[in-house]
Amino acid sequence: MRFAGRMSLAVIVALAFAAPASAKQTVKIGAALSMTGPAAAYGANQKVGIQAAVEEINKSGALKDVVLEAVIEDDASTKEQGIAVFQRFINKDRVAAIIGPTLSNTAYATNPLAQQAKVPVVAVSNTAPKGITDIGDYIWRVSLTEGQVIPGALKTLQGKLGFKKAGVLYGNDDAFTQAGYTVMKSALADLKIEVVAEQTFAKPDRDYNAQLTSLLALKPDILVVSALIENASGIVAQARQLGWTGPIFGGNGFNNPVLIKNAGPAAEGVYVGTAWNRSSTDEANTKFLASMKARGVDPDQFATQAYVGVLVVAEAIKQAGNKGGRDDIKAGFAKVMSLSTPLGKFSFLPNRDGDHTPAVQVVKDGKFQILQ
Amino acid sequence: MSGQQVINGLFLGSIYALFALGYTLVFGVLDILNLAHAAVFMLASFVALTLVASAGLHILLALPLAVLVAGLLGLVLERVAFRPLRGRADSNISGLISSLAMAAIFEAIAHEIWGPNVARFPFGTLTDKQLHVLGGVVSRLQLTIIGVALGLFLVLWWLVQRTRLGREVRAVAESPRAARILGVDVDRAIAASFFISSALGGAAGVLFGLAFNSVSPDMGRSVELKGLAVIILGGMGSMTGAVLAGFALGLVEVFVVAHLGGSYRDAVSFATLFLILVLRPRGLFGAPSLREA
Amino acid sequence: MEWLQETYLTYQSTLGYIGLNALLALSVYTTLSCGQLALSSAGFAAIGAYAASILTLNFGQSFPVALLAATALPMLVAVPLGLPVLRIRGVFLAIATIAFGEVVRLGLVNWDYVNGAQGLVAIPQKTSVWMIYLAVALALLLLARLRGSKWGFALEAIREDEAAARTMGIHTTVYKLAMLVLGAALAGLAGALEAHYSFMVAPNGFGFVRVVDMLVFAVVGGTVAYYGPVVGAAFLTVLPEVLRELAPLVGIEPGPLRFLVNGVVLLSVILFLPNGIVSLPARLRERRRARSVTA
Repeated sequence: MRFAGRMSLAVIVALAFAAPASAKQTVKIGAALSMTGPAAAYGANQKVGIQAAVEEINKSGALKDVVLEAVIEDDASTKEQGIAVFQRFINKDRVAAIIGPTLSNTAYATNPLAQQAKVPVVAVSNTAPKGITDIGDYIWRVSLTEGQVIPGALKTLQGKLGFKKAGVLYGNDDAFTQAGYTVMKSALADLKIEVVAEQTFAKPDRDYNAQLTSLLALKPDILVVSALIENASGIVAQARQLGWTGPIFGGNGFNNPVLIKNAGPAAEGVYVGTAWNRSSTDEANTKFLASMKARGVDPDQFATQAYVGVLVVAEAIKQAGNKGGRDDIKAGFAKVMSLSTPLGKFSFLPNRDGDHTPAVQVVKDGKFQILQ
Repeated sequence: MSGQQVINGLFLGSIYALFALGYTLVFGVLDILNLAHAAVFMLASFVALTLVASAGLHILLALPLAVLVAGLLGLVLERVAFRPLRGRADSNISGLISSLAMAAIFEAIAHEIWGPNVARFPFGTLTDKQLHVLGGVVSRLQLTIIGVALGLFLVLWWLVQRTRLGREVRAVAESPRAARILGVDVDRAIAASFFISSALGGAAGVLFGLAFNSVSPDMGRSVELKGLAVIILGGMGSMTGAVLAGFALGLVEVFVVAHLGGSYRDAVSFATLFLILVLRPRGLFGAPSLREA
Repeated sequence: MEWLQETYLTYQSTLGYIGLNALLALSVYTTLSCGQLALSSAGFAAIGAYAASILTLNFGQSFPVALLAATALPMLVAVPLGLPVLRIRGVFLAIATIAFGEVVRLGLVNWDYVNGAQGLVAIPQKTSVWMIYLAVALALLLLARLRGSKWGFALEAIREDEAAARTMGIHTTVYKLAMLVLGAALAGLAGALEAHYSFMVAPNGFGFVRVVDMLVFAVVGGTVAYYGPVVGAAFLTVLPEVLRELAPLVGIEPGPLRFLVNGVVLLSVILFLPNGIVSLPARLRERRRARSVTA
């Protein structure tokens, strides 16, 4: 597929020399995704989102003579290959912008290289609260951090349910879940909610009975969980099996159709603070869901945010006067205002982090529904 | 520790014991760590899942079929990754690496066929029921798994201690050369132990997948290193030891989670493993190993 | 000229990682050279990486001081680790050292001062590619000098038959410990260089998978020669980049199939080139000679 892309590029370049200036201009977007290794499930979904967005934008002709081309490479969930992919994008493929990498821990290693080379990067799944966009003015972020989602969601939820005591369970060997825990802890403290106990698990674990038993013995009003989807459905199912009927609250990691698929009825009454309200009836969202359905994909938040990443790059190109140079795109980002996306109206904050309204969802009747 | 935690510990322990039973058999016979054991564990789970979800088989039919496939994978492993290395001076290092290579191949194949997402058995694959014992909750499935772990141990014990094949396997473990002189078909005995070992690993994988409703290409990671701890604690090649050590590790881990917190669990497990190796290399359950290491 | 520069910039990090992986592979090789399979290198690399990063980030120490500390600290840890552990043999030593590595990793995961799983970030980039290769060259020089010396013979004797070597009056423990300490130094240095090359360190970079990689580098390259691990590290570090180049040509999308190729390559080397890639020229020569004899 990429080979075909290269060929067409060669043809386009050849045409560009022959044809007048109005000929099509191809703008390459590199995507460094984890297609193998521990984060492989996320990279696969992100890839779908990126490909869909590129196709739709090209078909719509919104960018006039600019044609987008996605160059997707696997970073194997490691920083070593992440760095190699970035240097390739920067120096060999000469991409105009980079989407990714999937993991925050890889981003810490790769993004300084893009900053040095002045290549704009859009993070679509890095949610570490600190240190990503701090790397420099070429680093932008679509994905809301846990810090932007969790505190508001917990507050809304407490208003509804009025809980006073929480049991906290989190994955302590993963950067995402550990960061999520830090945010949850301070949000709970701000709301003056007593934490009866904290327990941890490791990402490869599939058995959480011991942790859950000791948390539930302390009679919390709510279980607050920071976990990736691999662990989330098991935690929910096992908590229910141990007799827990109360609310369970999770962060972005829970916003995944796999939760309902794998936990089934146990997922009822799970509350999810998320960046993406999948049941939103905004036109941008319904159109996105329809397009994903046509591809036979039940999108998760990773696919959606990756999709929006491409939309944001396209909007930046448009804002720059349909020019797709690296600095054009960077300058264009600053002008992205209230862009209609499946995530809602999207803008960038002054610190280059993304800004849109997060949501609280609840699983009800086997579906994610917006908390009324 | 509450009754519920004891149940949790026994259940976790049965998973460890199941995984370690097959692991320790090959380790005892060949003195080789078969790092592809976790990959066979995973593949068997996927095979059973496909048979149930796509072919519509009942789990009681799918389980033995998946176990058979796992056993055959064991034969493949032996043939491709271990037999060619036999007789090399560094066979325990090169065997470790070739099994790693096979694990990578198996994992890539699973990833390609079934994708990276966590899958589960369809709802209602097993009609499950909650039971109340020891002041805690236990599902019938969990009890079944604990039972199966003990049952498979007894079968294996009988196989190794009471049958001709078992005698041959033990003879090979003692000394392949002596066994050959005594007329044992060494190749056959080793292949048989791989078949049995992998079949057990496969059974463990299917039950694991059922118990946690979690089947994914990397599902072996959670038991891979713990399994190592179990076979060391149990004493090399000792099946009784592996089962006892599996349950012991399960109970200890649950105890640590309950009293110190989950973050200490793995550190305690590995520190214990380390100390055992330094202080008592033959393992905790002192069953004199078949051969001096 | 421009092409050359583009190629260099594109593969700069691969070049750096070849050297880093070579150092790590050599750190496993040191103990292998006396027949001991110790898999503690990931733990030592973690200690070195964190020690150096804490020194430069939190204490404003200069890079040379950090590198020195990163080399010395793992050596200090290796002595009390090695004395009890090196009495264990074979696969048991491997397992004990894996356990050591896991304890180090879990310690870092639970240590709030270094941000747990999120690790240390925004580490200044102080490592240049030449520094990495200088370290590799020094390590190779040292190992080359060992060969043919009294030390080298002792190590070989221990590798061949430890009991016999002891009977001959060789202090096997001293030699084994010395090699473990040397390996710890190399791993610690590599860890510190990597941390200051890739802007960050996190505990997950030093798990079981990583130490297995190091062992694989060494064995694929060949452990009969001291330069084997370097060849293996180079080969396997370049392989993913070569596959990246080739995959689209044969229509393979990025994904699991690349891992399949990795596994197949590894298996083929182990099966058909037992002494690693470095034995390939000799093997080919042998085959040619055999053919000329039959002809």
